[in-house]
Amino acid sequence: MKPGIGQYTILGVLAAGFLYPIWWAISSSFKPPNDIITDPLTLSGPTLHNYEAMFADVPIGTGFANTALVLVVKGAMTMLFCPLAGYAFAKFSFPGKNVLFGVVLLTLMLPTLVLIIPLLLEMSALGWVNTYQALILPGSIDAFSIFWMRQTIAAIPGELIDAGRVDGSSELGIFFRVVLPVIRPGLAALAVLTTMNVYNDFVWPVVAVNDTEHQTLQVVLSTLAQNITGNRIGSDFTTVWGELLAAGSVAMVPLLVIFVVLQRHFINGILAGSVKG
Amino acid sequence: MRVRTWLTPYVFVSPFFLVFAAFGVYPLIFALQLSFTRWRGAGEAVFVGLGNYSYLLSSPDFWASLGNSAVLWLLIVPVQVVAGLGAAVLLANAKLRLRGFFRVAFIAPFVTPLVAMAQVWIVVFDTDYGLVNYVLNLVGLPDVGWLTSTTWSKPTLALLFLWKTTGFAIIILLAGLQAVPGQVYEAAGLDGASRWRQFWSLTVPLVRRSIAFLVVVQTLAVFQMFAEPYVVTQGGPYGSTETAGLYLYDHISASDLGTGAANSFLLVLLVFGLSLGAVRLLRPKDGTS
Repeated sequence: MKPGIGQYTILGVLAAGFLYPIWWAISSSFKPPNDIITDPLTLSGPTLHNYEAMFADVPIGTGFANTALVLVVKGAMTMLFCPLAGYAFAKFSFPGKNVLFGVVLLTLMLPTLVLIIPLLLEMSALGWVNTYQALILPGSIDAFSIFWMRQTIAAIPGELIDAGRVDGSSELGIFFRVVLPVIRPGLAALAVLTTMNVYNDFVWPVVAVNDTEHQTLQVVLSTLAQNITGNRIGSDFTTVWGELLAAGSVAMVPLLVIFVVLQRHFINGILAGSVKG
Repeated sequence: MRVRTWLTPYVFVSPFFLVFAAFGVYPLIFALQLSFTRWRGAGEAVFVGLGNYSYLLSSPDFWASLGNSAVLWLLIVPVQVVAGLGAAVLLANAKLRLRGFFRVAFIAPFVTPLVAMAQVWIVVFDTDYGLVNYVLNLVGLPDVGWLTSTTWSKPTLALLFLWKTTGFAIIILLAGLQAVPGQVYEAAGLDGASRWRQFWSLTVPLVRRSIAFLVVVQTLAVFQMFAEPYVVTQGGPYGSTETAGLYLYDHISASDLGTGAANSFLLVLLVFGLSLGAVRLLRPKDGTS
């Protein structure tokens, strides 16, 4: 069954449909603001005008810094505590294990929406509204990552771990010297998936933070978008569109670059996500 | 063995349970309690029994938000399953060249930040100056109010969702397809089964699990859809994109927290019900898996 020209055409059209909006947004962001509106199909420029205006108007640097901070802390917690718990669930037997693992699985099915309001109230009771701990701690160790790490670690042969025990390593020593090195590909995929989730997270950051100082990148972007749709008149419409596209491009590029470089891990991460079905 | 105490596994799993107790169990119990009260974020909470629930269940706005989400579901999930399966079957062909490129192209939207792309949607689908209407005008067609008419606002939002997540669907279905051993097809080919028959009687049943997974995940996602309407349309025009997720958020911004809590529990029940229904419908008839 050699694929024919028809198949290539269908796949090619699909690929173009998926890629064109990204290409259009990035290439238009380098056009003079007027051209984006009067002549959206052809390239012109390139100019950095939109970027200069955007960086002057929008605290996008702050957004990046905040997202980076959340990413580092949440990522570190995920990369340490999720394999650790996964290891315990995969390779130890202890009273209550099934019940505890059942709780982990149950939380998988809990929609984020149900927790938003009470979490917000909890944050304000703790005085945590507009703080980094509010952005970071809720959901910092997520059930899905534990479940996935348990599946990954369960595939390690028991002899490998027993050999570590004979050597007299502590359990933590075995975890760091035997378990983690063996599951490196799984960890890479976990890192990539966590990065994507944290980077794109929107609902909780938009609720938990309402000052500029702590806004994550996505929240900064959405504020800009609302200024436009909220009051199209007032500010110069053409300049704002250019800024919008510039901001969107700046936000898109880092993740796209990571994705192209690490695509195999990305796709493995996504697939691992489907195993739970 | 001296280092291996009975405590070790409990210590290893404890970080998750600490975080879950503090930011999962506690807020859940609090939310349940809250859903039986009238409370605006300050002052005394008034116990109203099932008042919030009966208010919502008799509120046209609540049902309208569910209706909007249901229409979006219809515009998204069936399209995605069919198109995703088609694309996955084409990609699964072992002799296909450029497979790596296609995979990257299809999944690229999935890794773009939703908010950034939602902004692009605002610009591209603008009635007066947007790219889409510009192209329509070029071929002599009139402007369409993609985001300003109640007819088109839902399809335009659905298109954003489809554009963003269909690559994910393709990858999931492709993985399901690749788990099907090639011999199955060879045997069917020898039997002289046509390609269509092969597709319907072999491929679809074999990827049922993947389809079921996809339908459940996307049902959850569509009924919780929030960022798309929040950024692109703010629920408008005339409430036509006021999704269930956005309606819930509106209680928060109006500080009507008791009603909001009740709304989230109703939504959870609905989403659970829908997912269970989807799983049951798509379960293989012989009871395996």
